[in-house]
Amino acid sequence: MTVEIEFDSSWQDEFLQRIDQDGPWGNWELVRLAIEVEKHLVIPEFEGLQAPKHLPNLTPLPHQLETAKQVIENMNGKAILADEVGLGKTIEAGLILKEYMIRGLVKKVLILVPASLVTQWSMELNSKFYIPAVSQKKSYVWEQCDVVVSSIDTAKRNPHRDIIFRQNYDLIIIDEAHKLKNNKTKNYEFVQNLKKKFCLLLTATPIQNRIEEIFNLVSLLKPGHLGSQTAFYEKYKKDSRSLNDNEHLKELVNKVMVRNRRADTGIEWTKRHVETIPIDFSDTERELYETIYNLKNESDWIQGSSFSVMTLQREACSSREAVYYTLRNMLQKKENPTQAFKDQIESLMKKVEAVQTNSKAKKALELIQQINDKVIIFTEYRATQLFLQWFLKQHGITSVPFRGGFKRGKKDWMRELFQKRAQVLIATEAGGEGINLQFCHHIINFDLPWNPMRLEQRIGRVHRLGQEQDVKIYNFAIKNTVEEHILKLLYEKIDLFEKVIGELDDILTKLEFGNMEDHLIDIFGASSSEGEMRIKMENLSSMIEFAQSMKKGETHAAAGNS
Amino acid sequence: MQQQEIHNFLLKYFQANDCPILENHSGYMTVQLTIEMDKELMNRPFYWHYLEKTGGIPNPAKLTLITDPNSVPEDIKGEIIHFGSPRLHQIFASTKNLARYIRLYENHENGSRKTPLLPWLCLNVKISYQCDRKRDVFKSIGLQLINGQMVENFHERLLNISLTPKIPDYSFTLSPLVKPKSGILRIENYLKSAIYQDDHSWAEEARKRWEKDLRLLEHFYEDIEEGNEAYETEKKALQEQYEPKIKISFINGGLFYLTEKAIV
Repeated sequence: MTVEIEFDSSWQDEFLQRIDQDGPWGNWELVRLAIEVEKHLVIPEFEGLQAPKHLPNLTPLPHQLETAKQVIENMNGKAILADEVGLGKTIEAGLILKEYMIRGLVKKVLILVPASLVTQWSMELNSKFYIPAVSQKKSYVWEQCDVVVSSIDTAKRNPHRDIIFRQNYDLIIIDEAHKLKNNKTKNYEFVQNLKKKFCLLLTATPIQNRIEEIFNLVSLLKPGHLGSQTAFYEKYKKDSRSLNDNEHLKELVNKVMVRNRRADTGIEWTKRHVETIPIDFSDTERELYETIYNLKNESDWIQGSSFSVMTLQREACSSREAVYYTLRNMLQKKENPTQAFKDQIESLMKKVEAVQTNSKAKKALELIQQINDKVIIFTEYRATQLFLQWFLKQHGITSVPFRGGFKRGKKDWMRELFQKRAQVLIATEAGGEGINLQFCHHIINFDLPWNPMRLEQRIGRVHRLGQEQDVKIYNFAIKNTVEEHILKLLYEKIDLFEKVIGELDDILTKLEFGNMEDHLIDIFGASSSEGEMRIKMENLSSMIEFAQSMKKGETHAAAGNS
Repeated sequence: MQQQEIHNFLLKYFQANDCPILENHSGYMTVQLTIEMDKELMNRPFYWHYLEKTGGIPNPAKLTLITDPNSVPEDIKGEIIHFGSPRLHQIFASTKNLARYIRLYENHENGSRKTPLLPWLCLNVKISYQCDRKRDVFKSIGLQLINGQMVENFHERLLNISLTPKIPDYSFTLSPLVKPKSGILRIENYLKSAIYQDDHSWAEEARKRWEKDLRLLEHFYEDIEEGNEAYETEKKALQEQYEPKIKISFINGGLFYLTEKAIV
């Protein structure tokens, strides 16, 4: 067996020169220290992880260490990391990256993540792993920095694209890789053309995906692992729904994929306590709500859009400010509004003005004072967010706002303020993603989103690894409104709030019945009677329940096999 | 490396580089850097450039390094140093960089007797076995440049000998019969022939993995027309990922003039 041996000759030229010139010569103490250092840095075994020794401030969980070892030793550094949400895929990726860097196998690294997570990734790599990762901001960064974090949307565009293709990357990490399931997209093509010596694809839910998506993802990582495209589709039907149908395929996929499940990790998760708080409208608030509700029957003036009525109805359950804002927008955006339209809006505005209190806000205030600890309030509406901030301030409670639209730096700043100074963080829906708030364990859902995944994301900000306390969730619902229906007929029925993180994700993917919100608008908007609405809601929740029970059956079966 | 070892290492490093140790307690130390060491460690070329241009008074930094955060008084601010910290690795790199070449003489106790000193070439190297994984071996080889005697673990032996940078009185060096350049070549050949006799199953395994992935890759691109760029890229990536290689790199080395009995 011959292996090429490279002998570093750069050293000797200078050595011979120094002999000729009689020096300069080094210090014996430093020579001895250098060798002492080298003996500590030499890694005598192919196997095993060095990274933990270098990371005294990080205590990786057993499944994370196991994953890192598995990827390096059995998967040759090319893997899909597909742990369920909240198990720390970022930590796993960081461990693998660190290990390769320590061993000198990886120097140049490209990390592609959603734009909102760029700063967070570089911060975590720097602070937790002491890896000098840089967020790409200027185009010279690609060439001058070894570890670069960027969004794929920036990277795929020129001039970046061309520069990136000229770099010689040792490792490529892609977060949220399930977005690359379609092989016809520009993003897919871009990643396909990157040279992937070592490569990690991070995703939360690949396994329920269509077989076609699995094929695309795996082929990105390791072309040919699942065969060529034609061969693959001859063997497995393209429309096949689930990987579980085929044991052989599942086995193949598992060779390049690690998926830890909460149940297997043995981590003790804190509990979720859910409390629904029914609230009565004041008379004027009720008046406003009813007026909007009745618009449904005389809907010519807003072009029969049940959507608008529904929106106004939901907003009326949140704050008069939210309603006002929408009404004003409707008036402004309407081209050549008829007098009737103007009058209608005018009269609604009057009703808005008549409302002098916000029953929910009062309740929230009471609750916050009683909790006397950090609280996060989620609302769907910016107008409500602003109002609440003002309202709490009137009562001497400090709060900070949080929105998805904030720049990364501002998000971090707000999080910091919340942690150190303010008692309350008021977040709008879009603020839910990409921020971790484990130091808080009280959530008020001031109003409810209609998409259960968004609700899960809200809770997931707080109920995740690192949360040491049980999480208290308070759901506000105004009695006898669309809000109460949603809460009672849907969320409570499917035990949504009690779910463990990630479970819902699986269930909804399995259902594949489209956008939950559309279903709900249809149910509330198009039902002609209360009875019809109830029946439709029940159908919807039974479907979810059914998917849930299917899932349970599956876990039992799996447990039985092992 | 334990924290105590790190602490001792740092002390020795700064002392060897003539930096006054202002404070030294268990758990932390404060060091006054010299101008040279400030340039070496503090990464502020503009400051030094500016100072040299304007002729200002240089003010090299003081560095407080904490090796045990639990035993440090609260008012002490400094950098926490542990085995993974970038600062320590910078100092590791600096240590190696500052000590690449050496020449020393045995500080013998032969008094006024005329003593011949024999030339030895010492090479301290790291041998890395690399495919998609990697392991290293440290080797220290000494070669006597008169009779060609080759000695392993040479550095360990030197540690027991008193050495000095100036040739001791009444001593004279014998000139080498083997030139340093061909000495290096001899050691290179010696290392290579030793490596050839190693067990190389790791390389064989790596080639098998490579071959397997390559077959998959070819199969994947079978249907796709020739000259596909992605195929070529992936193929190259596989080579870089798996191709077994052995690298011999230098840590440091030099010439040692030793008495006849120093190395037996």
